[in-house]
Amino acid sequence: MKTNQVNAREMKTNILLRVTFVIALLSSVFYSCSDNFLDVPVQGGVSTASDPDLASKLVTGVYYSLLQGSSFGDGDIHGFAFISVTSIMSDDADKGSTAGDQAVPVGDLDNFTISPTNKFAETLWSGHYNSIGAANQALSALSKATSITPALRNQLTGEVKFIRAYLYFNLVRMYGAVPLVLRVPKDSQDANTEPSFQTRIAATIVYDSIARDLQYAINNLPLKSQSSTGHANKGAAQTLLAKVYMYQKKWDQVKLLTDEVINSNQYQLLPNYANLWRQESNNNIESIFEIQTGAFNNANLGPDIYTVSQGPRVGGLGGWDDLGWGFNNPSTSLLSAYEVGDLRKDATVIAIDNSGTHKGTVLWDGFRIPSSDSVQNLYYNYKAYTSKEKEKYANKDDKNRPKNIPILRYADVLLMNAEAALQPSINQPAIALSNINKIRQRAGLTAKGAVTINDVWQERHIELAMEHDRFWDLVRQGRAGQVLRASGKTNFVDGKHELLPIPNSQILLSGNKLTQNTGY
Amino acid sequence: MIGKGISRILIFTVLTAISTSLAAQVRMVKGKVTTLEDGKSVEMPGVNVIVVGTAKGTTTDIDGSFSIELAASDKELSFSFIGYKMKNVVVGDQTVINVSLETDTQQLEEVVVVGYGVQKKTDITGSTANVKGDELYKQPVLTATQALQGKVAGVQIISSGQPGTSPQIRVRGVSTALGGTAALYDVDGVLTDDISNINTADIVDMNVLKDASAAAIYGSRGANGVVIITTKKGVSGKLLINYNNNIGIRQAANLVEMANSSEYKNYVQAATGTIPPSSGYNTDWYKTILRNAWQQNHNISISGGSEKSTFLVNVGYLTDEGIVVDNDFKRLTLRLNQDFKLNDIFKIGLQSSYTNSVNQNGFGNIDIDEDGNIGSVYNDAYRAAPIIANIVGGKYGNTSTYQNVGNPLLDIKNNSVKVVADRLQGSTYLEAKPLSWLTIRTSIGADWRNSLNRAYNYKFLADESTFLVAGGNQYNTRSNLNVKNSQSLQWVWNNIATANKKFGLHDLTLMVGTTAEEYHFTSFSASRKDVPADQSLWYIGVGDANSSQNDGSGDAWARNSYLARFNYSYDGKYLLTATIRSDGSSRLPKQNRWQQYPSVGIAWVASRESFMQNQNIFDLLKLRASFGIVGNDRIPTDAFTQTVALNKPYPFNGSASTATNGAQINQIKDPNIKWETTEEIDFALEFSSLQSKLSGEINYYDKTVKNALINVPIPRTVGDIDGVILTNAASIQNRGLEILINWKDKVNSDFSYSIGGNVTFNTNKVVALNGGQAIRGGYIGASQGFTTYTDNGLAIGSFYVLKTLGVFNSDADAAAYTDTNGKMIQPSAKAGDFRYQDVNNDGIIDDNDRVLAGSYQPKAYYGVNLTANYKSWDFSLSIYGNAGNQVYNGKRAVRVKGEDNIEKALVYNRWTSSGRSQTQPAANTGNQLASDYFVESGSFVRINNLTVGYTFNSERLKRFRVRSMRVYATSQNLLTLKDYSGFTSELPGDPLNSGIELSAYPTTRTIAVGLNVSF
Repeated sequence: MKTNQVNAREMKTNILLRVTFVIALLSSVFYSCSDNFLDVPVQGGVSTASDPDLASKLVTGVYYSLLQGSSFGDGDIHGFAFISVTSIMSDDADKGSTAGDQAVPVGDLDNFTISPTNKFAETLWSGHYNSIGAANQALSALSKATSITPALRNQLTGEVKFIRAYLYFNLVRMYGAVPLVLRVPKDSQDANTEPSFQTRIAATIVYDSIARDLQYAINNLPLKSQSSTGHANKGAAQTLLAKVYMYQKKWDQVKLLTDEVINSNQYQLLPNYANLWRQESNNNIESIFEIQTGAFNNANLGPDIYTVSQGPRVGGLGGWDDLGWGFNNPSTSLLSAYEVGDLRKDATVIAIDNSGTHKGTVLWDGFRIPSSDSVQNLYYNYKAYTSKEKEKYANKDDKNRPKNIPILRYADVLLMNAEAALQPSINQPAIALSNINKIRQRAGLTAKGAVTINDVWQERHIELAMEHDRFWDLVRQGRAGQVLRASGKTNFVDGKHELLPIPNSQILLSGNKLTQNTGY
Repeated sequence: MIGKGISRILIFTVLTAISTSLAAQVRMVKGKVTTLEDGKSVEMPGVNVIVVGTAKGTTTDIDGSFSIELAASDKELSFSFIGYKMKNVVVGDQTVINVSLETDTQQLEEVVVVGYGVQKKTDITGSTANVKGDELYKQPVLTATQALQGKVAGVQIISSGQPGTSPQIRVRGVSTALGGTAALYDVDGVLTDDISNINTADIVDMNVLKDASAAAIYGSRGANGVVIITTKKGVSGKLLINYNNNIGIRQAANLVEMANSSEYKNYVQAATGTIPPSSGYNTDWYKTILRNAWQQNHNISISGGSEKSTFLVNVGYLTDEGIVVDNDFKRLTLRLNQDFKLNDIFKIGLQSSYTNSVNQNGFGNIDIDEDGNIGSVYNDAYRAAPIIANIVGGKYGNTSTYQNVGNPLLDIKNNSVKVVADRLQGSTYLEAKPLSWLTIRTSIGADWRNSLNRAYNYKFLADESTFLVAGGNQYNTRSNLNVKNSQSLQWVWNNIATANKKFGLHDLTLMVGTTAEEYHFTSFSASRKDVPADQSLWYIGVGDANSSQNDGSGDAWARNSYLARFNYSYDGKYLLTATIRSDGSSRLPKQNRWQQYPSVGIAWVASRESFMQNQNIFDLLKLRASFGIVGNDRIPTDAFTQTVALNKPYPFNGSASTATNGAQINQIKDPNIKWETTEEIDFALEFSSLQSKLSGEINYYDKTVKNALINVPIPRTVGDIDGVILTNAASIQNRGLEILINWKDKVNSDFSYSIGGNVTFNTNKVVALNGGQAIRGGYIGASQGFTTYTDNGLAIGSFYVLKTLGVFNSDADAAAYTDTNGKMIQPSAKAGDFRYQDVNNDGIIDDNDRVLAGSYQPKAYYGVNLTANYKSWDFSLSIYGNAGNQVYNGKRAVRVKGEDNIEKALVYNRWTSSGRSQTQPAANTGNQLASDYFVESGSFVRINNLTVGYTFNSERLKRFRVRSMRVYATSQNLLTLKDYSGFTSELPGDPLNSGIELSAYPTTRTIAVGLNVSF
């Protein structure tokens, strides 16, 4: 009977155990089953839904995108690639640095041996479209934003449209016809397959879109005096639209818009030309729109390598801690274009002491650059100089100290106004003369008695030298080949080199839906 | 002998003896269990001794002896051991019972871990491979993964010479386009991607699940194959103490020889027309930054146990200096594995490991990309001119002022990076056997990791206190300290019930289970400038608060699965395995979150058929076939969620004030991401013959990944910041054949040997790109653009470059190379330049003229393993090789300036007006176009490991109380024969950009001596 008792006890234990285990197993199953176990939100990932202030933050993000300077990477708008195609490609400047340094891609741009795979032509393309994407996202968010007043919405929309217009204006000047993307892709499928993202639209249509965006901005943005520093305003939109019309030779509108800017009484020429490129004159009375730089998170904030790439470079005997890589050297053809006594020459060019006296070159802030036997090149761009000691930086030891880049300034308005005034259809030579003489006066030059269109072009060349305007200006004037070949760029081919190649990688990606520019 | 002993202990470990508490003592019986091995009587430890009719029993200790107390009613003892015929002995009046057990060939079967369970090897219907721990441990390498190289067919290991890093593993070809090609590791039930924390000495065996049917039980994580690692356990009986070590020296195995000063001057003058400045220096930059490095590895383990519990403690310490100067890697591992038998029903146990590693200036941490390329240092060493000094009197040669390249030695010396990583990994289980045919097991595993990364950049200026001559752009104006801490915790809870019943010749096993898994990760970092160079001051608080920056991020995901496996065997002849796993993952959007992964495998063991009993050709003949579906969910957690990029500020007020913060939406996401699923069919034949002297296996597989996740390039015009979206857009097929042959023979009692070979042939091709657009990858430098091309019908990441047609022998030659209109095809070409083929005959050379130039994926890879034992000597040799793969010599393409150094061979082999080489261009200033000139054969064969050992006579050791002792000498990577002119053709990388040598860490050669001793 004892055995039976034991068996009975064992059986009880067994049953108990089995029940326990079934319960344990089931409970774990139920635990696992609860569907929200798998609802793990993205950690630290702010989503479009979770931030009510997103729309206005996205607008700031659009401005931020203008600081792209990843010229060897994902995108450039105002970095080394920008310098290369606006300045080094023109007769204003030579590549600089050592002969072999960046022979590809910068040397190729300078010498017009540009291949369709040129890295800078590619990063400028992606940089501008990155920024256009940010603008389209911001516009889409603004149109849905509920937490802001309609007035603010319209103003922010105007600012974004101004930037989008600026970006397309650059694109159309660099590449001619380009895909016109004015909306956010619906999803990845749309992004990847929608033909309009990979189809070039005639430049005239792109120009129309630019004008529409700018007209919206003009209608919705306040004057400079009523808007916050650094933001796009009505005057900026009017000036940019005037410039856009100038490239289309719509002179009546150029005159009309520049007159409005002049008569708005918001702007004057800054008395001292040289001061235009000092930190103290950021956003000065002459400034209409400039790329802002400064500090964030205890670090400098500005386009990558914009200043360091242009800084004077050690060479020869060496022996000093230099300022940069020595690219974008003012050319002899620019130097010889200055009239004797033009104050703008010394404000534009750092001339290295080549006299053999070893005096060196002392800059405005007292910094002395050694003489030519310790420096790589003879001329550097003064307009890209930053002062380590006399200007404020989050990190002054950084050789790429950020510097505001003027995009539109009042002198440009006067010059556009003058050029329009000289057009036969308008024919107001006195106004042109008066504008030009204002500029010449500041430059320490004698007033002219009369001006021709060539005089305006010459004044424009000198006034805006090294300011990223010259190459496109020559193309606009229809004399790029003639001027550039004369300055020694004999490889320039008319009908080809006015535009950059469309990035080959993008043509391949599109399955040849994107077409290449003539000659490439 | 040693192998057999260990495997015995292993088998014993798997099936631990059952024992009960003793009844009132009546009498004592003792004895010894032996077996006959080669005519000699050998003691058998770990034999189960059970009192028949009770649960009472014991096991024999290390010299085979046992003693047991018997009650009056106890009449008979049963002696059993896996692989041996059970023997019952009636006790009667005997007090000493000596038993000799006979081997049972029918039963001598390996049990292997197959994921959430074990299975007899002969019953397996999928494709698996098993490698024993002692085979891995004898190689002086950091990770067991590296030691697998060449041992297993179908598994390609791409080694890396860097201390503290794991090699890349590809099971049966590249079957995904994303970075996640690595196999999954299951370490005692904890799933992980990284086993650099596991001491190879702790491993009993590694089992690789290669095909989809074997890996399907791991569902969404099985697509790249699964490696199951079982760690050692203690055994009941005497205390066992083991000490192993090896100490050796490592050096770069294959270096590229660069031009010396006079060769350099000759070349540069020819290329640029300018004579480089005179200098008395002749610097070998590779010698400057590389060295012979010491490595050592010590392990001490203590194991033992009673009838109720077993334990194993192992302490391992490894140091590896690394062949790059200033590098130093140290790793301490502790392991505690324990098992307790609570009573007849319950068992609990623990497997746990703690690892602490310190990596000082490991190039895994500074200036390195995820593929193991150590960035600027190697590039700089390749380019730096030999006429510049490395360091003289504490001052560095100024390479940057001469040629715009950093001094490679200073590249290293200007940083101090220390990464301290701690990792606790373990699992604990509770197992119950409430019924004889039912086992229920619940286990919780956890993997906790903490790492502290401290990077200090010294302040130095481009002046004469640092350099021999001032100038240049190698400087750091402010010292910087960056500290980053990251922590992660991953836990997994498995609940598994296994039922096994036999009905006559029918043997059925059903396993069902659930798993839940969660992962959390957080990291934060802080940095400040102007921290003084004194190491005792390297704390954030010491730096300039006005320069402080910080950052932080996190990650989390969860997985939940249900799984089941059914095994059926009829008389061991007809086998069926069916599995299903249903997986849910938080990484996928809700609508696509769950996926089922089924598999089925069948096998026929023909040799067990009655009609085969009278033949003596085959001891084993088995045919099997299987089909399975597995998945891959290794995608970023935020892959489908549209998120906002924060901290996109703009300083509206210029430099006067701090910027206004902003945000961007700069990534286009695919909200409908799905799992990638791999379907695989596998056929195999296994055999053994001639009394198991000859055995082998032939496997054919065909696997196709559908909906492979891939970063599809999208037009830049849509404004996606990286120009790609992650989406399910590709189907990739791998087909292959694996052949495995082993021969082992015991010639006489003094001499035995084995030779084994395995070879894998694999072809990879993309069978569908849903987006339709070919993918370009492998971007190199400014002048080359892309180098790889992925399109339908091609191997993934095939090289796609211009075709060279020799070298122009004169300017006139170049001028005569014209299109049909008489226009020069290469207008700027001159004598000594490459002639490129104008493939599309449009008169210009551009990307449209590119042609395919092979793939980085080997057509075949193979291993040969030899072992021999003569008396007390043992010898082993393993050879590994790849054939049919191509390498892109990308480092040659980073020459971009006339002053850059050149490989010595190219100085002599270059085209000259008299020499007229047609394969090498004339002296040039770099910036060459991407062409087949850079594509070289990557085939190689290498002596992976060569080991010679001597085992001391155990009788003589007895008086020193030493049980066994062996000394050995070993060499890893003793010799490599290769066609490739660079460092190594083993180049890890993601599938679209692999096989490109830019600045790969050279493979290293190790020569070491070691000692194994047990007490």
